[in-house]
Amino acid sequence: MLEAVELSKSYGAHQALHRLNLRIDPGEVYCLLGANGAGKTTTINLFLNFVEPTSGTATVNGLDVTKQALESKRHLAYIPETVMLYKNLTGLENLEYFAALSGLPAYSQAELLGFLQEAGLQAEAAHRRIGGYSKGMRQKVGISIALAKKAKALLLDEPTSGLDPKASNEFSELLKRLSDRGVAILMATHDLFRAKESGTRVGMMKHGRLMESLSTSDIGHADLEQLYLRHMHD
Amino acid sequence: MLFSIMRNEWRTLLAERSLPAIGLLLALTIGYGIYNGQAWVSFMRESLAATQAEYAERTQKLQSDFLAYEAGSKKPVGFSDPRGASAVGGTSAVPYVALTPGPLAALSVGQSDLYPYYFKLSLRSKYLTLSNDEIENPVNLLSGRFDLAFVIVYLYPLLILALTYNLLSSEHEQGTLAMTLANPVTLKTLMAAKVLTRGLALTVLSLAILVVAIFGLTLTGNGVAWRLALWAVVMLVYGAFWFVLAVGINALGRNSSANALLLAGCWLCFALLVPALLNLASTAMYPVPSRVEMIQAMRNAGKEAQQRGSQTLARYFEDHPELAPAGGGRPDFASLSTAAQQEVDRQIQPILYRYEQQVSAQQILVDRFCYLSPAVLTQQALNDLAGTGIGAYRHFNQQADRFLKTWQDYFFPLIFARKLFVSAELASLPRYVEVPEPGSDIVRRVLLSLAGILVPTLVLTVWAIRRLNRYRLAA
Repeated sequence: MLEAVELSKSYGAHQALHRLNLRIDPGEVYCLLGANGAGKTTTINLFLNFVEPTSGTATVNGLDVTKQALESKRHLAYIPETVMLYKNLTGLENLEYFAALSGLPAYSQAELLGFLQEAGLQAEAAHRRIGGYSKGMRQKVGISIALAKKAKALLLDEPTSGLDPKASNEFSELLKRLSDRGVAILMATHDLFRAKESGTRVGMMKHGRLMESLSTSDIGHADLEQLYLRHMHD
Repeated sequence: MLFSIMRNEWRTLLAERSLPAIGLLLALTIGYGIYNGQAWVSFMRESLAATQAEYAERTQKLQSDFLAYEAGSKKPVGFSDPRGASAVGGTSAVPYVALTPGPLAALSVGQSDLYPYYFKLSLRSKYLTLSNDEIENPVNLLSGRFDLAFVIVYLYPLLILALTYNLLSSEHEQGTLAMTLANPVTLKTLMAAKVLTRGLALTVLSLAILVVAIFGLTLTGNGVAWRLALWAVVMLVYGAFWFVLAVGINALGRNSSANALLLAGCWLCFALLVPALLNLASTAMYPVPSRVEMIQAMRNAGKEAQQRGSQTLARYFEDHPELAPAGGGRPDFASLSTAAQQEVDRQIQPILYRYEQQVSAQQILVDRFCYLSPAVLTQQALNDLAGTGIGAYRHFNQQADRFLKTWQDYFFPLIFARKLFVSAELASLPRYVEVPEPGSDIVRRVLLSLAGILVPTLVLTVWAIRRLNRYRLAA
């Protein structure tokens, strides 16, 4: 569903991403680990076509994101670290807008409320302005947008940083449900525990290179941390 | 897609309360501007009515005096005979030449508070009779009046910029741009929707206010419809210029405060700096002769002409042999003074000529460089439509000059022939008939100004689209 082939991005002399080869199939949850500046966000921005690759290709559902920019975005949903929405509008109005942007036929109010509920937002919050939402509530609206959009691939950039453990756990549950439906998920994170819990695979990045990629079922919590620290140290 | 974004924009604008606030401000300023313009036009109309009343009363009295002379019940008294051509053509029967305010004059005061809009005729040069202008507050003269044209030229762009300076930068700053562009929508579509929403809201709002105001004014007269239609087009195109400028500046990718500063700078440049520089340059490059110089020349010429007396008259007859009385004899006072006045007028002619030359050179300079500022062009177009622009006054002055010539040509031979008028002849004196400036001339000038705003708007549009294509979300 999401595929990077020899994907590279450099800013002048600085190589932000070096020949990334990555394939995420439907239902997979791939967690990108690595220090700040390792190239995780660059990878996500390349899939969103927010930055142009220096070389290589990124495809979504087989569509090249630079050549079929608009078409590829029909299948994508994006949840940044903090889901930024129109703070003067309600959660429902925001969802209505972003759902309309996806190009799908308009949903009824009941359907939209259903998506918000499915994402775990309390019913009374849907009619309040986003300005008063907590970070976790915004993430839920972000998920409901992905649901409404019927996205086949989900790009997450450190979505659980700053969430309390309970909210973080709820979020993982939501991801699991999405992956069960066959959504391919790429998540950049610092949270090793969360990566082991909700990821199917993890990859470790350093200085723009993917150093290691392994299945979470093959490794325990402690070993994952050891491996991560070993990569970060040398 | 476009409609969905527009709907969302509309919602956010309402939720932010910026649109209602701007709408209220627009309504208040437009209302006040129209009220002000209407007050000025009422004053002009009242002044013109007063001149007409004065003329009617004066000529009526003249008529009854003449009838009394002819019946023998009253003797013509005075330093010179009141029935003489000099008295009739020089004072007692002189009419006014006036520029009646056009149907839209209340919308733009324009030059009408700077230039005289009526003259009381005499047999002298027009410039010597210019003492009858209003005493006006110099601050008003300097800054122009707060009329509808002022609102459109100066305040309307500010309201547009208040709605658009952070069109793209705020989306970037609050992070919603990334959320939006993760969807199948291009930046161009997004910006088009944003501009359309604000543009439509402002246009509908201002047109609605205008319509209400105009029905309040009950404008009547020739060509109200086409003038108003062109007025709306000028406003639309001028608004489009500022919208496109804001989009282009936003597409540079700077933050909101930098955008605000840049756009305020543009406004300052187009609305204040260019007009001021243009004004300064024209008066510095083509200074008009000073009024003191002219008065000095008049005095000298007058003294000399009077001292020479009959010599001046003789020389005048040499120049105008057709006016010389057949019988000869001792010249009367009227002939002497008319010849002397003519001599003075002749001698100050070079100064007047230089004055007109300089003024027209200034105008040519302004005409050439006004294309540097859409604000200047808009002001000109609105003045033209209101009939208060330079063009209208030029047309009026030509008419006044022409009628003065007619009047002089009628009376001069009669003065030297020592003609005495009878009551029956008073009704057949030359009459001033005001010919309004042809609509086609006005339309031509307005279209030229419009083109001058439209071309930079189109160039800016192309530039803004290019910048948007190059805009990168994450650097």
